[in-house]
Amino acid sequence: MAALLEIKDLVTAYGRIEALRGVSLQVAQGSITCLLGPNGAGKTTLMMSTAGILRPRSGSIRFAGSEIAGAAPHGIVERGIALVPENRLVFPHMTVLENLQAGAYQRNDRDGIASDLERMFARFPRLKERSAQEGGTLSGGEQQMLSVARALMSRPKLMLMDEPSLGLAPLVVEEIFNIIKELHRDGTTIFLVEQNAHMALKVAHHFYLIEQGRITFSGDPGSLAEDEVIHRAYLGSAKA
Amino acid sequence: MLADLIQNTLDGLTGGAAYALLAVGFTLIFGVLRRVNLSYGAAIMFGVYFATWTSLNFQVGLAALAALTIAGAVLAGAYVERLCFAPHYRSRGSPRASSGSIAAMVASFALWMQFEEAAILALPKHLYAFPPLHAGEPLRFGQFFLRVEALYLLLAAVAVCALLHTILYRTRFGLAVRAVIDVPVAAQLAGINVSWVFVRIFALASAIGGLAGFLIAASHEQVTPMLGMWATIKGMLAMMLGGLGSLPGAVAGGLVLGLLEAHSQWFFGPQMRDLIAYLLIFALLALRPAWMTRWTSTRSAS
Repeated sequence: MAALLEIKDLVTAYGRIEALRGVSLQVAQGSITCLLGPNGAGKTTLMMSTAGILRPRSGSIRFAGSEIAGAAPHGIVERGIALVPENRLVFPHMTVLENLQAGAYQRNDRDGIASDLERMFARFPRLKERSAQEGGTLSGGEQQMLSVARALMSRPKLMLMDEPSLGLAPLVVEEIFNIIKELHRDGTTIFLVEQNAHMALKVAHHFYLIEQGRITFSGDPGSLAEDEVIHRAYLGSAKA
Repeated sequence: MLADLIQNTLDGLTGGAAYALLAVGFTLIFGVLRRVNLSYGAAIMFGVYFATWTSLNFQVGLAALAALTIAGAVLAGAYVERLCFAPHYRSRGSPRASSGSIAAMVASFALWMQFEEAAILALPKHLYAFPPLHAGEPLRFGQFFLRVEALYLLLAAVAVCALLHTILYRTRFGLAVRAVIDVPVAAQLAGINVSWVFVRIFALASAIGGLAGFLIAASHEQVTPMLGMWATIKGMLAMMLGGLGSLPGAVAGGLVLGLLEAHSQWFFGPQMRDLIAYLLIFALLALRPAWMTRWTSTRSAS
């Protein structure tokens, strides 16, 4: 399959500290690709760089054939990438409905937005019940649903998801992964960052390990023993 | 005695209506956008000076003068936004992003001085006449008077307040503004061009300031470079009385400040007038500090 997202030699730095030290990877069209790695390895930095929130120092990010490294975030959304950020980042003082409307900010098709809202409310009945409530009053799991639904409102070709299961109860995590599988079935390509390696390996077609700002392993879920993956995803391959 | 009280109240409404209109603009900048833009009052003065300078050199009517004041203030406001505030949305990924608001505040103070110097250079006399808004008699109710300007100012304050509320809560642009204030990063991820939203909201706030500047200059019938300082002090006091972040509160705060000034001037003399207003703010901040965060910590505006 052709690569929808192709990242080459990407370097992103905070001041003099390089968080990404030349990352290269590909996300195939129509796949669920997963990025695993310990805290501080650069997973969120990679997501934020791809979404345009952080400006990479060097390297290239190609999406559907065109270069997007360094483009403004709203330009990247326009091209069809949506990020479900770490810690959800719902708008706490806006209603659930307004959160979803904000997700459709760049669209002008009133009817299309209305029918997508209906679809979201059908898929996430809890959001419909709470549509007039402010985002900040929702539970963690509901906020995660809202964050996913908000990203979907832009009708993305590629969904970036940064630790969608973080801090959620096991049943809710199960639900999140069901949603990921559904999205994939509907034709959305998904690039997922996860701490929960066990769940991630169950849905992913391909995965990468990132350690200290570099990709250290790439393969299919069966290509490395799961306990080895989990060990390196949580602790890194310490060479002590 | 009762007659004096009534007349003072009517005079207080006139002053208070001006403060109310100023406070709505300040509330939009400080309370809703949470940007410490110290040059907001100076940009209003700049607009008034721009109109005054034009009227001294060309023949212009009252409506054109109003348009010129608003245009001047919008230009000045956009200039402040680009120079002081815009650099901090562009510095993506900078670990020093949090120091940006301090830098922006200090820079906006420098622009205040710049606007004052520019005004003094263009029109060096201390005082210039400004055409009156209403040339005729004040309104009479028996033995009492009310300046017609007070009605214009009050009407403008209420109309602007309602217009802003509609923009913020009923339009796509308002949705973007509230998203940007709530969680800037999430707004960017939703595809909102944060920089462009800020230019437009600063321009809108400055247009409101320009309208206030025109109405105030035309009811004072004079302008001095001190208008910037005056607008800043009165606007901020009224904004704080209104609870920093509530648009109807700003209107109420302006009226309360005006009434307080009129009555204290009558009872204690003009020297005590400002002192009493500042004492009230001091007491409010010291005894009821929560008053100031009532709106900003919960909803952005209502």
